[in-house]
Amino acid sequence: MRTTRRGFLALSGAASVAAALRLDAAPALAQAGPVKIGVLAAKAGVLAPVGESGMRGVQWATDRINATGGILGRKIELVIEEESSPKDTVERFRKLALQDKVDVISGAISTGVGLALGPVAEEMQTIWLAWDATTQKGVEESMPKPKYSFRSTDNECEAVMASILTARSWKGKFRTVAGINPDYSYGRDNWAAFLAIMKKSGIEVQVVSELWPKLGATDFTAHVAALQQAKPDLIFSCFWAGDTPIFMKQAHAAGLTQSTKLVMTTGGGVHESLKKAFTPEGALLGYNCMYFEHPKASPLMKEFVRWHQEKFKEWPNYESDHGYFTVVAYKAAVERAAKAAGGKWPSIDQVIQALEGVEVESLSGSRRYREDHIMEATFFQGFTTHKNKHDFVTIDPLESMGTKQIQKPSGVGLYDWINSWKV
Amino acid sequence: MLGGVFHAAVLFLVAAGLQLVFGVQRILNLACGSFYALGAYFGVSAVTWALGAGLPAPLFVVVLLGAGLALAAIGPPLERLLRTIYDRDESFQLLLTFALVLMFEDVIRFFWGTAPYQLGQAYLIYGQWRIGGSVVPVYNLVVIAAGGLIALGMGWFLARSRFGRIVRATAENREMSEALGVDMTRVYARVFTLGVALGTVGGALVIPATAATNEMGIELIVEAFAVVVIGGLGSMRGAFAGALIVGLMKASAIAIYPEVEMLAVYVVVIAVLVLRPSGLFARATA
Repeated sequence: MRTTRRGFLALSGAASVAAALRLDAAPALAQAGPVKIGVLAAKAGVLAPVGESGMRGVQWATDRINATGGILGRKIELVIEEESSPKDTVERFRKLALQDKVDVISGAISTGVGLALGPVAEEMQTIWLAWDATTQKGVEESMPKPKYSFRSTDNECEAVMASILTARSWKGKFRTVAGINPDYSYGRDNWAAFLAIMKKSGIEVQVVSELWPKLGATDFTAHVAALQQAKPDLIFSCFWAGDTPIFMKQAHAAGLTQSTKLVMTTGGGVHESLKKAFTPEGALLGYNCMYFEHPKASPLMKEFVRWHQEKFKEWPNYESDHGYFTVVAYKAAVERAAKAAGGKWPSIDQVIQALEGVEVESLSGSRRYREDHIMEATFFQGFTTHKNKHDFVTIDPLESMGTKQIQKPSGVGLYDWINSWKV
Repeated sequence: MLGGVFHAAVLFLVAAGLQLVFGVQRILNLACGSFYALGAYFGVSAVTWALGAGLPAPLFVVVLLGAGLALAAIGPPLERLLRTIYDRDESFQLLLTFALVLMFEDVIRFFWGTAPYQLGQAYLIYGQWRIGGSVVPVYNLVVIAAGGLIALGMGWFLARSRFGRIVRATAENREMSEALGVDMTRVYARVFTLGVALGTVGGALVIPATAATNEMGIELIVEAFAVVVIGGLGSMRGAFAGALIVGLMKASAIAIYPEVEMLAVYVVVIAVLVLRPSGLFARATA
């Protein structure tokens, strides 16, 4: 389970064998020493499993890149710090930039932290490539034109995709809805987006219950009882952490999952904990931007999944892909900028310019940074099935949607954008 | 309302551990939440192992209870550590027991990692009952019954048994009991271990219905303190009534107006603090 640095290093040997197939011989440059990448990974609390998953993606990318000669001949060295509260994480960001003098900082999951890091990245003039953190205040982008901050996909992408799929598959089959979502901006905004899209899709719904358990709560028996009373046709939830299986188990035990339609926008992040014993078939389940058992997975993805399974005895989730993407995107940007600069190691400004619009092959497929520094990726959702070799649910058929379809465009408000859809 | 009672049963066990240790040893033990979390993790591992070793599935509750009790073995060494601060300022107690909370969180991370741990099938082994139009898992009733039985047992133990009398005497007047020949070191070690056991059994019992997460202890400490303030510090009956009040307040808030879930609980806490500062079941003597 535990991922130690030493364990990773031991593994890099194995990874190098596979990676040796690809030889992008880089010109030996006069630049001395390794490229330092600072990493901010959560290690405690509800975020810990997600932080670890992101870290695995970063480490795997780093091992592969180092095994094939590094970035323009310079090896990558990781300096790992912890993501915790916004205040402490800001201090560690400063430490990485000032004391460790890293070239770039990758990491951060929580948007609470992201909001604090955004301005600091600008102030420290250090490139920050977020995994999952945005700089959104609610659904509004707080930093429309940053220079050094590169943010994740919007917080509402999953809710938008799940709502579109709900409307497409279940229109006319439900009327009363209930929401149970974690009590912070993510939960509230996703629920609001869902209702807005229902309205836009011409589906008249009646909200019979809105529940807001605290993030990290572990007892939902009272919430489940309230849902039993409300008897909704459909339950919408954007639980994404350890609360997901707990809710599912308690809801199932109360007989809530048999007749009620379930929309779990983000539960795929903890997919292995959604055991068949208590997770029904036919629920809509979202995996964010990577699905570990993609029927048409790329060789890269297959290799990562195999490595991850062998090493950790777990099937990877999407955060690994965020982590992986930040490292390979940085490499691609440096190489692109160096080419433009005549082979010299590029300046920070040149790297930033090259990161804008950079497109690389990530684990889940092609991903890029938009010109306003927001990630573009493909999201995966589908209806749960028990027909697989695991003891947990998977989805079939797999639905995928690109951020071009489910993410608000640059500079447009979420609800204005939804209202502008042609349905 | 059964949801609220279920939560109350678990809350009672943790708060009872807190009360017992405070009542006798005058230690405000923040780590009671950690015992709960440890009990949960240990319970999952024990049951997983026992099922793997061929245990008939319906007996898993016995394993959980056993695991909770066995884990209470960490009681005596911890009590030995706390002995250094019995006669010092309360702030040292809070510091030390909070340090224990953080250390146990790391212990859990070390042994079990950061991903949530759960027992997949166990929760529904006893089936579900239909009570007044809603379906209730029988296991919830088992936990409620266990909480009630333990409360009765504690009541009997404190009021009737010989050791219970010594415990009460010690809580009333430590010097006097010592003068009468009570071996304080042993009483403290036992009482503390019993306090630990209440927490670990609570954690072990709740786990089939939920999943073990690193921060589950901290979450419960805060609520246990609300229970203690409502019920009165150091009182067993207070823990029982306080846990019921908190559990039912939360459940009815969620059913009627979910926005005030936590607010409702703390309104009661404030009302008690203002109207009856020593709690509903405060002891007559200090």
